[in-house]
Amino acid sequence: MRDKDIGDIIGGLLLVALGIFTVIYAQNYSMGRLQMMGPGFFPRALGYILIVLGIVIALPAFLRKGPAVKVNYKGAFWVILGLLTFAFTLDHLGLILSTVLAVVIASFASTLGWLAKLYLGASVAAITYAIFILGLSMNMPVWPTLLTL
Amino acid sequence: MDVSVIDGLLGGLQTVLTPQILLYCFFGVFLGTLVGVLPGIGSLATISLLLPITYHLPPVGAIIMLAGVYYGAQYGGSTASILLNLPGHAAAVIACLDGNPMAKQGKAGIALFMTTIASFVGSMIGLVALIMFSPAIAQLGLKFGAAEYFSMMLLGLIAASTLASGSPAKGLAMVAVGLLLGTIGTDVDSGTIRFSFGVLELSDGLSLVALAMGLFGLPEIINSLSNAQDTKVQGKVTLRSMIPSRQEVKQSAMPMLRGSGVGGFFGALPGTGPAISSFMAYAVEKKIAKDPSRFGKGAIEGVTAPESANNAAAQTGFVPTLSLGIPGDAIMALMLGALIIHGIQPGPMLITDQPALFWGLIASFIVGNIMLVILNIPLIGLWVSILKIPYRLLYPAILIFICLGTYSVTNAVFNIYVVAIVGALGYLMLVLRFDAAPLLLGFVLGPLMEENLRRALRLSRGDPMTFIERPISASFVAVATAILLWSLFSAFRKFLHARAAEKEKVA
Repeated sequence: MRDKDIGDIIGGLLLVALGIFTVIYAQNYSMGRLQMMGPGFFPRALGYILIVLGIVIALPAFLRKGPAVKVNYKGAFWVILGLLTFAFTLDHLGLILSTVLAVVIASFASTLGWLAKLYLGASVAAITYAIFILGLSMNMPVWPTLLTL
Repeated sequence: MDVSVIDGLLGGLQTVLTPQILLYCFFGVFLGTLVGVLPGIGSLATISLLLPITYHLPPVGAIIMLAGVYYGAQYGGSTASILLNLPGHAAAVIACLDGNPMAKQGKAGIALFMTTIASFVGSMIGLVALIMFSPAIAQLGLKFGAAEYFSMMLLGLIAASTLASGSPAKGLAMVAVGLLLGTIGTDVDSGTIRFSFGVLELSDGLSLVALAMGLFGLPEIINSLSNAQDTKVQGKVTLRSMIPSRQEVKQSAMPMLRGSGVGGFFGALPGTGPAISSFMAYAVEKKIAKDPSRFGKGAIEGVTAPESANNAAAQTGFVPTLSLGIPGDAIMALMLGALIIHGIQPGPMLITDQPALFWGLIASFIVGNIMLVILNIPLIGLWVSILKIPYRLLYPAILIFICLGTYSVTNAVFNIYVVAIVGALGYLMLVLRFDAAPLLLGFVLGPLMEENLRRALRLSRGDPMTFIERPISASFVAVATAILLWSLFSAFRKFLHARAAEKEKVA
């Protein structure tokens, strides 16, 4: 337990920030009148609502105890990095190599040996190839496209 | 039931009972259960994960497959709860309470079998309610104008965000964020492209699939990594061990019916979906039991009543979705999104103008549920063995499936980046204990809500009193205001209590 509800304070303040950003950014779009609402009206109204709700969430949180905020930085980092790697390499390396690479990177979040990581990557690549290319005949590069450069 | 209902139903069954459609249904139920069984993957994540597969099917096939996925996911979630005590979604939490103790007593097979039966009974009773009430509500919906639609969505969003989650303010804030994300893309009225930040791909709006995967798939994977305990499956499950005793069947009959009633009622209301229904059904059983102390130690009523309620609610949740086009919770919002993607616009006109489609859907729900029973009783052993795969081997594969599912929607990697960004935000929300479900509901309803708000005010020449001058709209607004005031009041009271308790401790 912490002496303040840190989670709600951070969350509430982030919502206030999002609200302020929305209100300012939506000035790019015309407000219109109630009778003929412009594209800026609805977003700006939501921006103000977010500011109010953010304050309502954050303020009382300063005055009460709350559970500690636990973040699995390691897991989040490797899982998201694996995802980004796949997105970044798919068009260049093709399905098979991208899958192996992404699986190896993502499995740094757990305790798996090097060889096991590679085996896992290869089997996931085989399964995805069977399901998505052979089974669903999806259209995407399977191997590196060096030859077509 | 009058003749038109029977005619409609027979017509619907005719559409559905073709080998091809049955095959889609089979795959839906199978895949839904397969993914739903995986620990830490709830029904929302399962549906978002499998949604892209249905994009390549004809509309009727896609919808029946999705319905199958939904039932399978719900069912698979309970299986994981009973065997591992690891609920995949909120509705399955209740299945842990008495289901896991039963498994520990070596009665896992009976618990799983009775769950299957209970979910079938609940679904069928829910379906009857769906058939009886949808046409009547659609008739009412035909009289709705823009003002009524706006007020009704307002009520739905307020009810869903304040009643279902712990903190009303946080739920409402998440709805507002969802509504805001819904404005990304081209504004239909003026043609202005909003909040695209110069990214060309965003001019069509955020992809529902990418958003859902980011909000539910990725955070659940990361979160399950931290709780990665060695999964120990309780007991052996053979076909023989699944046969319940006569007494156990007798003990479950009435609870199943009561559970279905509770679930059918709460499922149809906006904001109270399967999760709340199963809590309610459990509470009811505990209250009327002769010996309440049995609950939590493996009472079979504690498994069957909530399971029936959960499934009845899953069916009646379709009442507002199909008859008015307004989903009551995040899962229904996903289903609505899927229907719209396939060119089916649910609403009062669906039942009156396209009865064949409506009855086809109903028939596919019936077939899906029967399929679930036929498939799952022999396959329970398979689901159990899937639960034995260590998580560290599973999650990289799930990650790749998320990528490919997202990729397949537009055949471009852009949406995978969206999943990564939304996923990081979704994990932040999970860590800070902000519920993502209201966000998704807001996202799906956002464009509809803005459109009806604008239209209502145009028709009233800019007079906002239109929302309280029209009687139907006024009653929606009144209920919404009452819910807001009540949650404000109870939050304030809770706050004062907590402060008082703290002061006492200090003194």
